[in-house]
Amino acid sequence: MSTQRERFNAVIHFRKPDVLPWLENVYDETLVEWLEQGLPAERVTAIDWEMGRGGTALANMVTVKGFSPYAYFGCQSLYGSLLQVDIGPIPRFKQRLLKESDRHLEFITETGAIARRSKTGKYAWYNMPMFVEFPVKDRETWYKYRERLNPEDSRRYPKDWDSEAYIKSFEAYQDGNTMMRFNGFYGFGAEIMGIPTFNLMFYKDPELIHDMIEYWEYFTVETIRSAVETLKDRIDVVYWWEDFADRHGPCISPKLFREFFLPHYKRVTEFLAKNKIDRILMDSDGNINPILDLVVESGINGLWPLEVNSGMNAVEVRKKYGNKLFLIGNLDKSELAKGGQAMKKEVDSKVPVLKEMGGYMPGADHLIPVEMTLEKFKEYAAYIKPLLPY
Amino acid sequence: MTDTLGELSDAIGKMNSEEQVMTLLSAAISQGFSTSQIVEKGVRKGLQTVGEKYEAGEYFLSELLYAGSLVEGLLQALKPRMRDEELERKGVIVLGTVRGDIHDIGKNIFKMLAESFGFEVHDLGVDIEPATFVAQVKESTAQVVGLSALLTTALVEMKGTLDALRTAGLKDNLKVLLGGNAVKKEFGAEIGADATALDAVEGLEICKGWMKK
Repeated sequence: MSTQRERFNAVIHFRKPDVLPWLENVYDETLVEWLEQGLPAERVTAIDWEMGRGGTALANMVTVKGFSPYAYFGCQSLYGSLLQVDIGPIPRFKQRLLKESDRHLEFITETGAIARRSKTGKYAWYNMPMFVEFPVKDRETWYKYRERLNPEDSRRYPKDWDSEAYIKSFEAYQDGNTMMRFNGFYGFGAEIMGIPTFNLMFYKDPELIHDMIEYWEYFTVETIRSAVETLKDRIDVVYWWEDFADRHGPCISPKLFREFFLPHYKRVTEFLAKNKIDRILMDSDGNINPILDLVVESGINGLWPLEVNSGMNAVEVRKKYGNKLFLIGNLDKSELAKGGQAMKKEVDSKVPVLKEMGGYMPGADHLIPVEMTLEKFKEYAAYIKPLLPY
Repeated sequence: MTDTLGELSDAIGKMNSEEQVMTLLSAAISQGFSTSQIVEKGVRKGLQTVGEKYEAGEYFLSELLYAGSLVEGLLQALKPRMRDEELERKGVIVLGTVRGDIHDIGKNIFKMLAESFGFEVHDLGVDIEPATFVAQVKESTAQVVGLSALLTTALVEMKGTLDALRTAGLKDNLKVLLGGNAVKKEFGAEIGADATALDAVEGLEICKGWMKK
């Protein structure tokens, strides 16, 4: 019997595993709902409140500890074992509260943005923050911010990370794939400038965008260089976060993508390929169909989550792109949450056909939302699991 | 006489530089075109082209935002020359993100487009109580209420706001438009909204259609 990691690796290389991995990610707030709905509480060691979560929190976030929904339900977490390379601004901005009203909190995040959170909602993390101001507004603020993006800063890696003992213990702890994660060019720009300003600057100040993207390529390659050149294909997959689309389509046109991003994408993917890392998964919500030719040309060869509500269809993508893209997700979370015939229809329309085509791992088309009840998730699990073995 | 208004419209539609569109605006003014002619045949026609290209999948968010920024600049430059009676008001929209949701990127893009096309928009902001929508509709002469939500957890608040408008007896003379990433057209139909827009451009076209009737 294969391990979870072997199964994952088989699929992303278009080989057939003994059992198809079923990949999910569950919000901790969904888990808390499920505990109220009858999930065995004795399996949970703690429900804690933490600050953190990528530096956007300040308001405390619920976190369920000591319980793996993946082991419990028989699925895998998409994220597997993440290499701890820090690509954030160093030093971090100091989180502090700026304003508070009956309904909202406003605070500086660790990435230097000002975020607003609702105090009244039931779900602190699930109800995402609204960013109201960003650290980079123009050239001057970009140059200032860039001072925090020094790839040589020793704090970017855990102490003694490259010792044989560390690597051995890391490998012994494998849970699913070994993943290296970083932010792509759009994701990075939108995160420090905000979506509207970043998009506007492609026309208002294209030289600034070129400078930012060029620097991000340099920073990314030099920051991950040690890990990549040391571990090489012990890294199963690179997770490239972009989130550059909405329901209408990509936020930037194919023309802008080609001009501003493509050469930089290629240089990063070529650097990875030179070090035998040849599986690169891009995370983008929204309708990315209009830009997929360029994504493939850039050296990206995997997609998640393939959001159905935005018109993404894994069967169509597979037909068009063949084995150029491995695919994960694409089961409409809102249909899964309905259960019954709606859930079965959604699973039946994708899983059997894509399983035969290969290079696909089923799962919801994003994290499991709080609207999904425990009962419906169990029903979905019971329905999908018999479909997984080859 | 050269077709300066056509050139202005083309310049917006082709994403020309701010300097180029401002030069064309100055030319249009010096050639004696009225403010309403410049706005209708130059500025809004150009933005209309951008909207059509967006819907056709030729333009994307960057182009929409840049065109909006060009138009804002042009309208700002024309402001001292505008007289209330000279520009036709297309309609009045009360707009806001519903209670429980604090996100506003999509709402703000819709607002920018609607104002550029001559709608008077009363933007209530984010996390808005149903009673606040009701009060604003009573105070204004709004023909449209636009409700926005990014979060699926806020969908219930869209229904609650619609119910509050009905209970207050306001719905019969009012069109309710839903927008935002959480919203599907089926949901809009289910709760009795008049329309659901999948993006800001579609939302604007729906509002323009309502005002023609």
